[in-house]
Amino acid sequence: MVAKTSPRSPVGRKTILLVEDNADDEALALRALARNGLRDQVQVAHDGVEALEFLFCRGEFAGRDAELMPAVTLLDLKLPRVGGLEVLRQVREDERTRRLPIVILTSSREEDDTARGYGLGANSYIRKPVDFGEFMNVVKQVGEYWLCLNEEPPLKA
Amino acid sequence: MIGRRLTRSAVDPAPETTARTENDVLEEEINNLIYSVSHDVRAPLRSIDGFSQALIEDYGPTLDAAARGYLDRIRVNAQRVNAYIEQLLALSRLGRVELRIRDVDVSAVVTGLCERLAHENPGRTVTWSVQPGVKAQADRDTLTDCLARLLDNAWKFTGNRPAATVRFTAAGDPTVYTIADDGVGFDMAYASKLFGAFQRLHPPDQFPGGEGIGLASARRVVHRHGGRIWAEASPGSGAKFSFTLGLQAVGR
Repeated sequence: MVAKTSPRSPVGRKTILLVEDNADDEALALRALARNGLRDQVQVAHDGVEALEFLFCRGEFAGRDAELMPAVTLLDLKLPRVGGLEVLRQVREDERTRRLPIVILTSSREEDDTARGYGLGANSYIRKPVDFGEFMNVVKQVGEYWLCLNEEPPLKA
Repeated sequence: MIGRRLTRSAVDPAPETTARTENDVLEEEINNLIYSVSHDVRAPLRSIDGFSQALIEDYGPTLDAAARGYLDRIRVNAQRVNAYIEQLLALSRLGRVELRIRDVDVSAVVTGLCERLAHENPGRTVTWSVQPGVKAQADRDTLTDCLARLLDNAWKFTGNRPAATVRFTAAGDPTVYTIADDGVGFDMAYASKLFGAFQRLHPPDQFPGGEGIGLASARRVVHRHGGRIWAEASPGSGAKFSFTLGLQAVGR
């Protein structure tokens, strides 16, 4: 069963998977999440391989509870080893993960990247603002929307 | 006149074609460079802004006024660099978007843009006149962008006039489209600098707004349409920007 939100803790056990290779951007994103009370809910993957290992419970995440999928994955596009678009493609191809909400969070606003991201089934495409105040606001809204407002998809048909 | 144009293009078509192709390749390379540099500069900028903000938030009470002032300066400048980059990206995008050439009601576009400018600047008194019935074969989106840049400019540099006038006219073959204002104008000695990116002929505190890329963008659009753009002015008696769109002439 997918964890249901309890009335006492609106966010419940829901987690965010942050896929970010840049240590500075990671620190800023975690700071923004912490300021919105979401720090404890975040799992960080530092490249595409780590992200896939987490989602498919492989490698260092072999023992984790496969029922606990992130309520949302914030996916950067420019990543070492396996890029963000490839992560998205593999997630959408696998029965276990194909319904997971994936939000592309990137510096790129290239029409090509936007088209490819949506083409591969991204749920949303958000551009990282340079201004930290705006970035905070983005993180707050994304957290509120995907953890509180959005109903998680059933993982199995 | 038409005969002479035909003759010239018939005599000398090859070198012109070659030059245009080389220019296209060069322009494409520059566009790609601008894009990748802008993209890569964003991440460190976000760090500069973010960690300056973190310092202010977490250690603000222990910093004295001078230290906070320095941090504010760091943030303001990070954001200024970001604004430049946004503009550069917009300029490079104008060079890369695919043009969809169709009939454009230029008079309607100019009228719409003037109405928007009037709405956005309620404190200004600007009278505009638009020659009716002007049509063009062009890409609507980029042509609108070009006209918006020229009209923005006209609005901005008439800011010192209690009542300003902006005129749009079109005449001739090939059609010359002109936007004229009665603002501060500029010294023709600097005319060659007008269309460069980040060039300003007036200090920003005198005419604030914009990052100095408007006319470079207008020129990019006109060049992509195969036309040319030029300016005429003198200090204190207004400026006149004219351009052609060469598309109709190509291949005729």
